[in-house]
This record gives sequence, structure tokens and C-alpha cells, in this order.
Amino acid sequence: MTPAIELNDLRKQYGRRTALHGLTLSVTPGTVFGLIGPNGAGKTTTLRVLVDIIRPTSGTARVLGTDPRTGGAALRRRIGYVPGELRMEGRATGRRLLDFYASVSGPVRPGRIDQLAERLSCDLSRPVRTLSKGNKQKLGLIQAFMHEPPLLILDEPTSGLDPLIQREFLGLVHEARQNGQTVLLSSHVLSEIQQAADEVAVLSQGRIVAAGAVDELRLGAVRRIRAVLTDADTDAVRDALTPLSPATPPEVRAQDDRVIVHATIEGEIDPLVKALAHFHVAELLIEEPDLEESVLRLYGAASTDNSTPMGGE
Amino acid sequence: MTRILPITARNLRDSWRGLLAWALGLTAALALYLPLFPSFGSNGSLEEIIATLPPELVDALGYDQIGTGSGYAQATFFGLIGFALIVIATTAWGASAIGGAEESGRLELDLAHGIDRVTIVLENALAILVKLIVLGVVVGVVIGILNGPSELGLEASGIVAATAALTGLGALSATAALLAGAITGRRIAGVAAGAGIAVYGYALQAVANQSGDLTWVERLSPYSWAYSESPLESGFGWGIAAVWAVAIVFTGAAALALRSRDITG
Repeated sequence: MTPAIELNDLRKQYGRRTALHGLTLSVTPGTVFGLIGPNGAGKTTTLRVLVDIIRPTSGTARVLGTDPRTGGAALRRRIGYVPGELRMEGRATGRRLLDFYASVSGPVRPGRIDQLAERLSCDLSRPVRTLSKGNKQKLGLIQAFMHEPPLLILDEPTSGLDPLIQREFLGLVHEARQNGQTVLLSSHVLSEIQQAADEVAVLSQGRIVAAGAVDELRLGAVRRIRAVLTDADTDAVRDALTPLSPATPPEVRAQDDRVIVHATIEGEIDPLVKALAHFHVAELLIEEPDLEESVLRLYGAASTDNSTPMGGE
Repeated sequence: MTRILPITARNLRDSWRGLLAWALGLTAALALYLPLFPSFGSNGSLEEIIATLPPELVDALGYDQIGTGSGYAQATFFGLIGFALIVIATTAWGASAIGGAEESGRLELDLAHGIDRVTIVLENALAILVKLIVLGVVVGVVIGILNGPSELGLEASGIVAATAALTGLGALSATAALLAGAITGRRIAGVAAGAGIAVYGYALQAVANQSGDLTWVERLSPYSWAYSESPLESGFGWGIAAVWAVAIVFTGAAALALRSRDITG
């Protein structure tokens, strides 16, 4: 079966700066493929090449079996695209904007636009320039999904959307997959990709540093822990926890009569929970670190020190 | 359900308010200037005033023929205020069509749909042409109406030819702006190019008018191509066709320029 998307040693150079260092990847038709990586990793550049907004310096790209450089308007009618930096201006209403794109990329099933607008609770009667960022993003989603194209290329599609609408969006992706559409989705939020994608490629500084099935990647295995213990002393806590992550010992300090623990843990969470259970746990917070930290930690060439467990969100 | 010329249609729908304003502005300028001709143009009083001005200034402004109806309409409207209004309008249209659209992010979204790059340039150029024709018709009709009461004595063929010359200069600025926007993706570059070519043409003909020895300079000025054969009196000439031809070349160059580069937004 021809891959929906096939990139072979794709490079993009902007003057002396290299945005993509030879990307090779393949997306199976009918799957949801996630492209994740920190901001500036090259996700947007890659997706723009696929719709021929920018042209690669070298290497080849094939989208639905066709080179985007030669596929032209006919190829792009078969793609739904949400730009990474969606901006909309003008006096025209959302409905008129969608009607315009329907007329150049259609056909669109009758009632489809209204159905999507209702699901995403998007008011189509207002001029687009008066819309909030979230509402513009909804219009961006509608224009990509409305003509039910075989391929959806979505660059940070949920940015600016509230959690309820994000869930609705995941529903749309799920349905698209069931209809046999292929979805390529980029994000810098790991959990979004974990919920939606079958396969993932992790991009860092213009290179793919990991790829495979979502569950096989160990990205989700890095967690940050913050715990507040009472009836404990710092040395005992340190002795109990240090064996669990010898590479990055936990930060343990006393404050008044409490002990505060910051730790970063890889792998199973159970030993840590059991170790903490020996003390009286007043508070426990377990969270995903940001993607950049995970990528650097697990796949970065220079896995720099992670001595700032509370740095960043 | 592909509509015919969807981009042209969108451009016109999005900008009809502006077009109406420009049409009103041009009408107001004509209604202000032309009816003054009988009161002090044709009776020689304006020529007396002109005679007191430095001859270099008179030549530069093209006021030497101001005693005739055609000379008056040319010096006040076609050569000056009408020219300025048309150039401002068309430069804005040309600069926003590609350069402005790219800056606003709309071009990226448009081009990700079933629209190709050459088409987007040509359809926008067509929209500008339609708007220019509308302004040309307004100018022609208003002059036609004022011609009698203002005692200008203009021939219909002269009015048509001069309007074609004026709108041709507008097309030149518009397409220069379109081309610069297509090359750079920046609105401001388009504005500079559209205004620049108008100022260049005007300045060059002003220099050329200073002396008989300098008439060769006229050949480098699109403004002179359009107007030096006095279209209001002698009708169409090759100069007007040349202005339009350059505008067509600029449009083609804009399409090629956009086709061959990255869209950066």
C-alpha cells in the first residue's frame, strides 16, 4: 500500500540555519500519526513542506503518492490543513470564509459546516476579525475537516481551545480515522498525542530522535513528583528514595515540621509510592514534565543535568 | 460546486466599500475643479496668474496649456489630483493582494487549499482591473456630464483616451506593488514600489519639460508615455498601450515570482 505520506532525507535550510536535517518517515494510510517535539523542533516546517507552502532544500516528499511540488491545487483539495500559526482578519463572517474555501476545495456535504460548527460551538455569523483566538482556531478546524479529505495535516490544532472543545476535537480525529482518513497531527503536548495517535515520531532540532508506536516510546515514563511528608526526618526520606533513581537523587528538605520532596522518576511509579507510604503523606503530586524535558532526557545527545525539577511547567 | 473566479469575486466583495469611497473622491475632485474653468480659465485670468509664476514651475506642473479646456482638465485632474488619487488607490490594492495577504497569514491558508499560486496572482490582478475599469467609467461619465456646463469642449474620444491613460498609470502602480509583494511577501515593499514608480514617472517628465534638450528623458517616464501625446485632444496613442503592456508584464512577473519561492508569513 502506498504510504499516505513519505519523506525521504528531507532537508530544509534557511540561509545558514538548518531547520530540517534529513527527515525520513512514512505514514500508513488510515492511521493517526503524531509529530511531537519542543517548539522550534521543525514540526511546522515539515508540515508546510507537505502542502507546498515551502520547498525542501533537498530530499523528497510524497503526499498521497504525489510530490507536493507538482501535485498543485488538485492534490491540496485532498488535504485538510490547519496552519500552526492561524491568523484570520477581515470583515467577512466565519460562514463566508468557509463558503469560500468550500468553493475552492469542495465539495462539502450539505449541512456539514453547520454540524461541525455546532459540535465545536462556533458562531459563524460574526466577522472573523472579532473572534477570539479559540474561536478562530475552531474555524481553522472546520475548514480542514469540512470536505472530509483523505488526509488531514493539523499543526498544533488544539492551541487556544478549552478542554471541552479539545475533547470534541479528539472525537473528530477518531471519526476521521474510522472513515479511513489519515491524520498527521503535531503537538508539543504529549498527552494529546497519546490520546489520539497510533504512531509517533519525536522531533528535536530538525531530527527525528525516536519513532514508533505510542506505547513503545518511553516518553510518558518520566514523571515529576512533589510530596509533602509529616512525621519524617530528611535523612530517612533520602535513604528510602535515593535507590529508586540513583542517577538523579531526589531533593529533600525540611520546612518547619514537614519534609518536602522533589524528584524525577523514570519507569514504574509503584516502588516510589510504596517507599513514600512508610511516611505520613500530606500531599502528593505526580505530573508529566514538559515534552522538551522528556525528549532531552530520553533522547537528547547531550542529556544535560536535570537539576531543576521545578523549572518550567 | 466550483464557482467561476472565486478569488476575484472574494477580492471584489471584500473591497467594494473602498472602491465606492475612491469613486466618490474622484467625483468630488472633478466636481470641484472642472466647473471653475469658465470663471477664470477660458477668460484668460488664469493665464495671467500663470504668467506671473516662474516658467520652470509652470512647465513642471504642465500648466502651459491651461487656457484651453483640454489643457485645464489635463493640468488639474488627469495630470495631478486624479493621478494622485488613482495611484494611491491602486498601490494599496496591489500591495495588499499578495504582500498584505502573506503578512496576515491568509495566503498560507489560501494556498493550502485548492488554489494555485499563478491563479491567485492573476485573479487578484483581474479584480484590480475590474475596480480600475469601474473608476475609469465613473471618471469618464462625470467628465462627460461636466463637459458642457464647464465649457471644456472635450471630444468623447479624448475623454476615453485620457481615462485609459489615467487608469493605465493606475494599473502600472498596482502591478508594480503586486510584483514587489509577490517577490518579498511584504506589504510595505509593494507600497514603496507602487508609489515609487508613480513618483519616478512624474519627476522625470517634470525634468524633461524644463528644456527642449531634455525631451529624451521623457522616453524613460511612464507618465510621459501616457500623457505626452495629449490624449484629451488627439485620442489614443502608442504611449498608452505601452503603459498597459508594462502592467501586463509586471503581472506575469508577479505570478512567476510567487510560484518560485517559499511562503513565510
